[in-house]
Amino acid sequence: MDHLAPPLTALISELEKLPTIGPKTAARLAFYLLSASKEDAEALSRAILDLKSKVRFCSRCFSLTEGDPCSICSDPRRDASLLCVVAEAKDVYAIERTMSYRGRYHVLGGLISPIEGIGIAQLKIAELTERVRKDGVAEAIIATNPNAEGESTALYLARLLAPLGVKVTRLAYGLPIGGDLDYADEVTLTRALEGRRSL
Amino acid sequence: MRVQSLDLANFRNYAALHFSPPGGVCVFIGDNAQGKSNLLEALSLLATGKSFRAARESDLIRAGTPLARVAARVGTKNGDVTASCLITRVGEGARKRFVRNGRTVAYAQFLGGIAAVTFMPSDLALVSGPPALRRRFLNAALSQADRTYYRDHAAYTKIVVQKNALLKAASGVERALLSTYNQQLAAVGSQLLCARARYVQRLSLSAAEVHARWVGATPGFSIRYAPSPALPAGDASPGAALAALERALEAALPAELVRKSALVGPHRDDVEFLLAGEPLGRFGSQGQQRTAVLAVKSAEYALLAAASGEPPLLLLDDVLSELDATRQRTFMSSIADCEQVFVTATEAPDAPTLGGAHVYEIVDGRVEASAHAKTG
Ligand SMILES: Nc1ncnc2c1ncn2[C@@H]1O[C@H](COP(=O)(O)OP(=O)(O)OP(=O)(O)O)[C@@H](O)[C@H]1O
Ligand SMILES: [Mg+2]
Ligand SMILES: [Zn+2]
Repeated sequence: MDHLAPPLTALISELEKLPTIGPKTAARLAFYLLSASKEDAEALSRAILDLKSKVRFCSRCFSLTEGDPCSICSDPRRDASLLCVVAEAKDVYAIERTMSYRGRYHVLGGLISPIEGIGIAQLKIAELTERVRKDGVAEAIIATNPNAEGESTALYLARLLAPLGVKVTRLAYGLPIGGDLDYADEVTLTRALEGRRSL
Repeated sequence: MRVQSLDLANFRNYAALHFSPPGGVCVFIGDNAQGKSNLLEALSLLATGKSFRAARESDLIRAGTPLARVAARVGTKNGDVTASCLITRVGEGARKRFVRNGRTVAYAQFLGGIAAVTFMPSDLALVSGPPALRRRFLNAALSQADRTYYRDHAAYTKIVVQKNALLKAASGVERALLSTYNQQLAAVGSQLLCARARYVQRLSLSAAEVHARWVGATPGFSIRYAPSPALPAGDASPGAALAALERALEAALPAELVRKSALVGPHRDDVEFLLAGEPLGRFGSQGQQRTAVLAVKSAEYALLAAASGEPPLLLLDDVLSELDATRQRTFMSSIADCEQVFVTATEAPDAPTLGGAHVYEIVDGRVEASAHAKTG
């Protein structure tokens, strides 16, 4: 890339650092931005800078927010007795898109994984028990991923929260909507069978 | 099932091979280092997704070339399956891509398309080697026959790794988390225990029968499962296994905290091969050990055929050496009726031993029809 103008190679190498972006895509994006209007380019760079300077963690739920507490924590119409526990802030975003959940969230900041050095102290778990104790939570919905670490974390939290007199539930396992039964793997099907309900 | 065609490109010492093997027994004769084991390795790769001997997967790619390809068309009871594996050099290592019926698939989806039972000389260590070898044999055999087992075993292994990391954590061991891992290990581990107990029992019966047919009913051959923890009165029902494992995990806790390692559970199981009730690993002759391993492999073949509803491929590398002439003949006649078998040897067996086998010669990465006997 020695033959390219240095600002262009600089942008390409920055873009390449992003997840899922390889060298070809990085070059395509860089050339696109070069041809885009000055306003669009400025809007993009401002958005990136604002992200770093204005987004922080909510002091209650540890989701990402501009104002503290976040809009969900400070919304009085949200049901405070219902608390959905997720691993990452992006999971809040995923559940919010359903527009069918009216409770609040608690973001752990990851999943328990001693092999990666992530123990109880590295996650917002003490903060979770504190909230459950003080905020009148009636039900904690554990919405961690259905993989090994997600399962361990969910089971651990159930152990931890049950003595506090709160109802602890786990998201159901099921078949993807619109999917084909015969394409589902055995484990998903087995779990879906176990979680069946009467019609 | 039956391989209808095999295509190799830059795999090991094969620059290019197109080979359409017939059904029945195919014997490949060749001097040392000509590519006999490599041919079986290629077929085994399509069944298991892994090499049966390469420490580094980049070794599978022919020296000086960037990409190896192994592809086969296999006739199965559900129709023809095409499977291929592409191995690409990436830096010092290699990356594999699996394709099934023209579609790129994940490793877990690739497994189970082609079933094979493999014997290679290093399998002789099954009898006298460390328990880890026998556990690996059990896991590979059960995973092929039972997908749920494969998933359970993968999940179990992950949790053991996490538990070991927790026990070694510098910040101290969070006891509630340790109990959580033990709860998961008991649940999944008891499934493994039950599956292994059932499998070993059937394997033992089948292997004993084969062994008796080959070398007589006495001394009798048997296989004994030695689970961790031992099951009270050998009761391997799910409830008993779960209770035993829960109790053992509880009891092992103090020792585990001291030794900083997970000490009980199916990751510490063993399997014993016995002749007249005595461990073969300690007193069996080379030939007796080889006969025992071959009986176990025959039993694995029979059980896999029963589980999947069709005979798997049988891949036998250098299986005849060290067997006396009678045992060679007995062995060859015992595989004569298999749907498809690949056997390698450095010396051509005599005509009565070969029976109706198709014979090929392998010279420097090429497969040629042999003058020895009938060819396909
Ligand atoms: N990546 C590779 N590129 C080129 N040649 C290779 C590669 N890997 C292995 N070989 C060659 O393949 C040959 C070994 O083949 P193989 O192990 O199949 O021999 P064999 O016929 O089974 O011999 P034996 O009777 O000794 O078991 C060796 O000469 C080795 O150098
Ligand atoms: Mg060999
Ligand atoms: Zn908040």
